[in-house]
Amino acid sequence: MSSLDNKHNHDGHAEVEGGEVARVELTAEELAEQASKLSGKTYWRSLNQLANTPEYREFLEREFPEGASEMKDGLTRRTFLSLMGASIAMAGLAGCRKPVEKILPYVTAPENIIPGVPKYYASTMPLGNSAYGILVESHEGRPTKIEGNKLHSSSQGASNSWIQASMLGLYDPDRSQSVTNGLARSDWESFVAGWRTRLEEHKKDGGAGLAVLSEAFTSPTMARLAAKLRKDFPNATWVAYEPVSDENIYAGIELATGEKLQPVYDYGKAEVILSLDSDFLSTESEQISAVRGYAAGRRLESEKDSMNRLYVAEGAYSLTGSVADHRMRVRTSEIPAFAAAVAAELQAQGVNIVGGAALSGFANHGFDKNWLRVVASDLINARGNCLVVAGYRQPAALHALVAAINQALGANGNSVNYRRLADAELSNRDGFAALVRRMDAGEIKSLVMLGGNPVYNAPADLNFSRALNKVEYSIHLSLHQDETTREAEWHVPMAHYLESWGDARAVDGTLSVIQPMIEPLFGGKSNCELAHFIMTGEDVRGYEIVRETWRNILRSGGFEVAWQRVLHDGVLNGSAEGPVAATINGSAVGGAIGSLPKAVQGLEVVFQVSPSVYDGRFANNGWLQETPSPITKLTWDNPALISFATAREHNLENGDLIQLELNGRSLELPVWVVPGQADNMLVLDLGYGRTHAGRVGNGVGFDTYRLRTSGAMFAAGGAGITKLNRTYLLASAQDHGSMEGRPLIREATLAEYREDPNFAPEMVEHPPLKSLWDEPDYSEGYQWGMAIDLTTCVGCGACSVACQSENNIPIVGKQQVSNGREMHWMRIDRYFAGNLDEPEVAHQPVTCQHCENAPCEQVCPVAATMHDREGLNLMVYNRCIGTRYCSNNCPYKVRRFNFFNYTKDMPEIIQMAMNPDVTVRFRGVMEKCTFCIQRISEAKINAKLSDRRVQDGEVTTACQQACPAGAITFGDLNDPNSKVRKVKEQNRNYAMLSELNVQPRLTYLARIRNPHPELMRIRPESADHATHG
Amino acid sequence: MARQAFPEWTNNLPPILLAAVAVVVLGGVGFFWYYGSPKYTDVGYRPVQPVDFSHKLHAGDLGLDCRYCHNFIEKSPVANVPPTQTCMNCHTLVLPQSEKLLPVRESWGTGNPIPWVNVHMLPQYAYFNHAVHLNSGIGCISCHGNVRQMDKVQQVQPLSMSWCLDCHRNPNPNLRPVSEITNMEYQAPENQEEFARQFREENDINPNDECSTCHR
Repeated sequence: MSSLDNKHNHDGHAEVEGGEVARVELTAEELAEQASKLSGKTYWRSLNQLANTPEYREFLEREFPEGASEMKDGLTRRTFLSLMGASIAMAGLAGCRKPVEKILPYVTAPENIIPGVPKYYASTMPLGNSAYGILVESHEGRPTKIEGNKLHSSSQGASNSWIQASMLGLYDPDRSQSVTNGLARSDWESFVAGWRTRLEEHKKDGGAGLAVLSEAFTSPTMARLAAKLRKDFPNATWVAYEPVSDENIYAGIELATGEKLQPVYDYGKAEVILSLDSDFLSTESEQISAVRGYAAGRRLESEKDSMNRLYVAEGAYSLTGSVADHRMRVRTSEIPAFAAAVAAELQAQGVNIVGGAALSGFANHGFDKNWLRVVASDLINARGNCLVVAGYRQPAALHALVAAINQALGANGNSVNYRRLADAELSNRDGFAALVRRMDAGEIKSLVMLGGNPVYNAPADLNFSRALNKVEYSIHLSLHQDETTREAEWHVPMAHYLESWGDARAVDGTLSVIQPMIEPLFGGKSNCELAHFIMTGEDVRGYEIVRETWRNILRSGGFEVAWQRVLHDGVLNGSAEGPVAATINGSAVGGAIGSLPKAVQGLEVVFQVSPSVYDGRFANNGWLQETPSPITKLTWDNPALISFATAREHNLENGDLIQLELNGRSLELPVWVVPGQADNMLVLDLGYGRTHAGRVGNGVGFDTYRLRTSGAMFAAGGAGITKLNRTYLLASAQDHGSMEGRPLIREATLAEYREDPNFAPEMVEHPPLKSLWDEPDYSEGYQWGMAIDLTTCVGCGACSVACQSENNIPIVGKQQVSNGREMHWMRIDRYFAGNLDEPEVAHQPVTCQHCENAPCEQVCPVAATMHDREGLNLMVYNRCIGTRYCSNNCPYKVRRFNFFNYTKDMPEIIQMAMNPDVTVRFRGVMEKCTFCIQRISEAKINAKLSDRRVQDGEVTTACQQACPAGAITFGDLNDPNSKVRKVKEQNRNYAMLSELNVQPRLTYLARIRNPHPELMRIRPESADHATHG
Repeated sequence: MARQAFPEWTNNLPPILLAAVAVVVLGGVGFFWYYGSPKYTDVGYRPVQPVDFSHKLHAGDLGLDCRYCHNFIEKSPVANVPPTQTCMNCHTLVLPQSEKLLPVRESWGTGNPIPWVNVHMLPQYAYFNHAVHLNSGIGCISCHGNVRQMDKVQQVQPLSMSWCLDCHRNPNPNLRPVSEITNMEYQAPENQEEFARQFREENDINPNDECSTCHR
C-alpha cells in the first residue's frame, strides 16, 4: 500500500510525513457507529478492519501488499536485478571450482561426546528474584536451544519467550568484548592491579566509601558474598535495584505479617481467581508456573468437567485480562479503592477480614455494585479454593490487604503459601535513592555496579548520571557497553548466564546450579567472580566460588557425588522449603487500609514492563523485538497505549505523534488505540529508546524511563498531551493474513457447552465434502497430527519464540514487518469481539495446518511442496523457485517467503545459534512450519536403532515443549492410545475452515469460557454461528 | 535466362545447417549431461590431505577395522574423523620420528586440529545419517568404495540425489548382514534377493523416497 512508502530518518525511526500508516480512515465517530452496529459477537482484528477502509481491503486481498516486492532503500527490484546480473556473471567464472570443505576433528576427544549427537545439560536462568530451571541442548559444546527443566518447580519443563530468546543473547555480537577504562580499551590485569591498591584503602576504614549496587538476586553464592562484604566492610553499602520488581509485594506482606515472606501461588488449586491489576500469566514473575496452574484448573476433557473462573480488574489490557472470564476496566491508580470495595463487599457478605473495620469508609464507591457482589459471593463459595492476587505495580498497602483477604477466604495454606526468604537480595528503591544521594554528596569513593543499567533505568528525578560522575572510582559489570558504561570509569564485560557458574533459589526454595555451557565468548566475568574479587582482591574462578558455597549446602554424605547429582539434575532434590505460618496482624492491615493511596487526578500515565524486552535488558535481542506484543501485536516499538474513548476525546488515531507532559518532563511518542483499556489513561511500556543497547536495540521505540520518577514509579497523574501534526510508522502484525467472518475461533460458555457439547464441529454447515483428487490412504504407519486447546492457551507467545530458535527463523526488522514480511512460522492471532470499550479477546496460535488435501501442493509448478506418507506437508527448499503460488493458495496464510537473503550478513557468531539439524534458507524460497520434522526424524532413527516403534511423547515439537499451558499436543494419530488421538476425540475438536475440505492435521479444541451466570451479557445467537462465505 | 543467384550446392545447405545445429545442440546437451553431472564432476575427487595418510596401509595391509578410527559411525549421524589422539595411540611408538607424521605430532603438541579435507560432500540441505544406514546393513563399501585399496581416499560414487534414490527404491543388491558392514571383501550370497527379502522382513527395513527422508 502506498502509505507504507516512507522514509528513514537519520536515527533509524521511520517517520511518515503527512501520510497515514496502517490507520483508520474514518473519523472516530463513524468508527464508533460501525462498532455499535455490530450485532452481538463479531470478531474483528483491528480498527482498520472495523473501519473497512479501502487500504485494509487491499491489504487483505493482496497476499503480498503492493510494494512488497520492491527493495528497501529506494533500490528497485529491477535495478537490483541488473546489478546482480553483472555480479552473477562475474561470480560464475570463479564459481566453477569445487569449494574445499575442511573437517577439524578434536585433538583429544572429550569423554562422552559423540560428534553429531547433541547433549543436554541442566542449568538455571536467573531473572530478578526468580530462577527458571532449564535444559540446554549443546552440539559439540555449542549451545543451540533451551528447554525447561521438568525437575525445576518454576519452569516445570516449560519456558517463556525470555528464556527462549536468551540463546540469541548469548551470541549477541554487540556484547562487550574487553575491559575498558574511560571507554578506552584496557585489560583485566590493569583493572586488577588498580583495584588492589584501592582495596587496601577501603580496608582501613571498613569500607566507608565503598558501595556495591547489584541487581536483585536469589542466590546462595551471591548472598554469601553480600554477607561477607557486610561483615568484612561494616561501613560499606550493598544495595540492589531493579526498575521493576516485586518490591511492593514483599513490602505489603511485611506490613501484614511483620516479615518479608515469599508468596508461592498455586493457581492450580484455585477455582476462583481475582486478579487486581496482576498480569500473572505474562509479565509478573513466576508466570510459567502460573500459566501451568491456571491451565490445569481450566482443562476440560468433556462437558462434565468443571473449570476455574478468572476475574480481572485492570486498567491496561493485559494478556491475563484477555483470557479472563470477566474483566472490569479500572484505572490502575483506582485499583486500591477497588480492592477495598471488594473487601468491603466480602465483609458485608460475612467474611471476617482482620483489620477490616477500617474498610467501612470504602463501602460507598462508584464501582459496579452488582459485579462486586457476584465476585465476592463467588470467592466465598469457593472459600479455601480461591485466590486474590495483585500486581507488582500496586502499592504495598494493597498487598497487605490482599494478604488479609486471602487469609480470610482460607486461601492461605492452599492456593497461596508463604515461605521464608533465603539467600535473597530484594530490590530496594529507598536504599537505592539513599545511595544516590550519598553519591551526589561525594560520600561514595568507589562504586561497584554488578550488572544493571541505572543510568538508563533509574528514576529520572534521582539524576543518577550526575551522581555517578561525582564518584571517584566506578566499575560497571555488564553484558554490553551500555548507557551506564558510558559514564562509569571502569567497565568489565559480564559473562552471560550460559557462560558462567552460579546458583539460584526458586520461589519455593528449590536450589539449583547455573553451569556454563561454553567458555565466556568474550572473556567476561560473572557477577560472583567480580564480587569475590572486589572484596578479597583474589581473582578466583566462579567454579571455586560456587563450590565453596555448596560445600555448606551439601554437607551430608560425600560432597562430590552429591555435587555431580545436582549438576546432572539441575536441582537439589528435596530442597524446596515448606511454608511458614503467616499471621496477619489486624491493626497493621487496618493501618494499611487507611493508607491506601487515592486514585490520581487527571490523565493518568501507567508504566509497565514490556512483554518483549522486559525492562530494557533484552533490547538488543531481535527475536524479542520482533515478537508481537500480545494485545497490540506491535513489533519494534512502544507507543503510548490509549483507550478508544480517550483517543477520540483528544482526536488521536493510531500512529499520531503526541507530546506527553508529566510533572515537567516531556516525551514525544506516538499513540496506539487499545480497545478495552481504561479511559483517561496512557500505558507506557518500559525498556525501549535505548541509546547504547547495540545495533539491534539502539533507537528502537521511546525511552519512557525519562518520565518515571521515584514518587510515581508505576502510576502518575496530571499528564498532559499535545497532538503534534505528524505521524509515525508503527509496525503491527495484526492486519496481516486476516481471515474474515468465518468461525475460526469457536467458543462457548461452559453452560452453552454443556447444553450442546458438539457445538464446535457443528458450527459450520456445508454440503457434503468431495475431493477432486484421489485421497491417499493414511491408515498405515505413523500419521503425525497436532491439537491446540484454545481453552488453556493464554496467547503468551512462548511457542513462537521457541519455534524461531529451533527452526533458524530470521528476523526481518520493523520496515519489513510493516510490509507484511515477518517470518514467524507460528503466529498468535488475536481477535477482538464485542464493543470498542469493553471488547473480549481471543487468541489462536496458527501455524501450518498440514492439510491432507493441501491447496498449496496443488499449485506448485515445481513440486517443491509435497506430501509424505506420514501426512506431513513438506517444503523442499532446493526445489523452490519462489513463485509464491502456494502462499496465495493457502487458506491459512501460514507460508513465509524469504524476500531477501536475511542470513547473508549474519555475523559468524550468530551462526553459532543456528540449529545444525535445520536448513538455513536462502533468498527466494518459501518456508513454513514443518511440525519440527528434524525432531520426528531423530525420534524415528533412534527408534530404528533400538528396533522399536516411536513411543507416544517421544516427539515433542518446539512449540509444544515450550508451552507452559500444555495446550499443544502432538503425536501419532494412528496410535489409538496416543495423547493427541485422545485429545482429538474430544467433542470440542474442530478443524479451522473444515468446509474447504482441506482436512488439516492441526485441529483446535474450542474455547470454553466460564462466565458467572449472573454477569452474562446477552448476545444474539446468530453472530456466534457465522456462516462461511 | 538469368543466372541463378546461388550456386547449386547451396540447395543442400538447409538440411546441412539443420543437421549441424542438431549436432551442436545435442552435443551441447550431451556435454553438460555428462560433464556437468556428479558422475563426472564429483567421482574421482581426490583432494590432497594435510597428512599423507594411506587407508591402504592402515585398513588394508595392517587390517585395522574402519571403526578403530571412525568409532561412532554406528551411533552418530556423522562418521567422525578420529582425533589426533587416535593417531598418537600408535605413533608414539610406531615411527615416532617419521617426516610424514610431522603434522600429526604438531597437532598433538600445539593442540590445533589437523585440517582434513572433506572428500564426500553432501549439499547442506541434505541430511544423511550414517548410523541408521549401517544398522540397516548397508556396508561402507556401497558408498565409499573399497577404501582398503585406496592410498588416497577418493570419491567413487556420484552421491547425487538420483543415486541415493536408486538404492532407496531398491536396496536389495546392497544389503548385507550387519556384522559384515565394514568387510570390504564380503561376497554377496548367490541368493542375494532371497537374503535381502528375509533380512528386510526381520529388520523392518523399508527405505522410502519421501522428500522428508533427507530434506528438513
